[in-house]
Amino acid sequence: MSADEKFFAWLDGELDAAEAADMAARVESDPELAALAEKHRAMQAKIARAFDTVTNAPVPERLRKAISPQPSNVVDLAEHREHRLQPSRLGGLPQWAMIAATLVMGIFVGTLVPGRNGSPVQIEGGRLYAASSLDRALDSELASAPSGGAIRIGLTFRDSGGKICRSFTGSAATGLACRDDGRWRVRGLFPAGEGQGGAYRMAAGMDPNLAALVDSTMAGEAMDAAQEKAARQRDWR
Amino acid sequence: MNRQSSFEDELLALLPRLRRFAYSLSRSPADADDLTQATVERAIRSREQWTPGTRLDSWIYRIMRNLWIDTARSRSRREKFEAPAEEAIPVGMDGAVHASAELSEVMAAMQRLPDEQREVVSLILIEGYGYREAAELLDLPIGTVSSRLVRGRNALLGLVGE
Repeated sequence: MSADEKFFAWLDGELDAAEAADMAARVESDPELAALAEKHRAMQAKIARAFDTVTNAPVPERLRKAISPQPSNVVDLAEHREHRLQPSRLGGLPQWAMIAATLVMGIFVGTLVPGRNGSPVQIEGGRLYAASSLDRALDSELASAPSGGAIRIGLTFRDSGGKICRSFTGSAATGLACRDDGRWRVRGLFPAGEGQGGAYRMAAGMDPNLAALVDSTMAGEAMDAAQEKAARQRDWR
Repeated sequence: MNRQSSFEDELLALLPRLRRFAYSLSRSPADADDLTQATVERAIRSREQWTPGTRLDSWIYRIMRNLWIDTARSRSRREKFEAPAEEAIPVGMDGAVHASAELSEVMAAMQRLPDEQREVVSLILIEGYGYREAAELLDLPIGTVSSRLVRGRNALLGLVGE
């Protein structure tokens, strides 16, 4: 090992105790060497700090998707969600499991077909907003305590802009709505699959289209029961 | 949770570090994210080659390093005929690293190092690997790692300073 190599090995904590003590003593008695050690430490700190901006930045969606592509089936998504929801366990069950259980048990007799008892969606200025039964469900329903209404709420979470979003399901369609100036703006609406009603579909898991939308919209974790309730009290702000 | 999903979970958890390693090797953020994506895709295809219980990070770093060498070689052949492109650090794009003058400066300095010094500096000074672990990952004798590290960091001191 050259003298240089030994000096840097000392700086990197790579020498054994005896050699390290030796080098420490040399550095202490040699101001030039001490200054060099300081310069290198500062340079290293600067490099580490600069590259830490990379680890602290959000990972681009395309990289995460390269690992977890959009779910090819609903079971994968349920697993994924279960994992994300781990911190908010309720009675030993992840909240996703609770929600899934209520969805499995529920019978979806509601309707999301426009024109009956007032359309659940309306278009204003080119934007789609929740109306009537959907608006009421989004305002008042809790996924953790479903009232048995026609429209069920799935996940509640915030998007990257801090707006609260909620996924919902009726018998004919499923979708996602987010708060926008005190109203529920519909971000996505997907018809129930051909030949399978909402109940069947939701018993199996979340619609893959909705799942992909939720996944790309959600910032952080979905709300647990207490957070969902608190958010309702704050009028979804 | 089955083995497959835990592999993916670990991969997801490693992504930020993997990206940092890619940034320290690459000349631009775009190249770095392309390298990260190619690495992740290769890792998923080759997952059977990873031995559970061994360090997944080292296994993937090695994949990234090998891919980087391959692309660096083909790039250097190309660049003999092209002027190097200056790329800014993107701001405000999806998941992009926010503008950091310091990061631009440090990336540019790293680019001035020969590849064989850069990978050693990356692993030891940025990723925190020990000499022996870095030597194993790079399939090099520890003495070679140590001498390249000396040359690399001395060159960096002149380029980055403080």
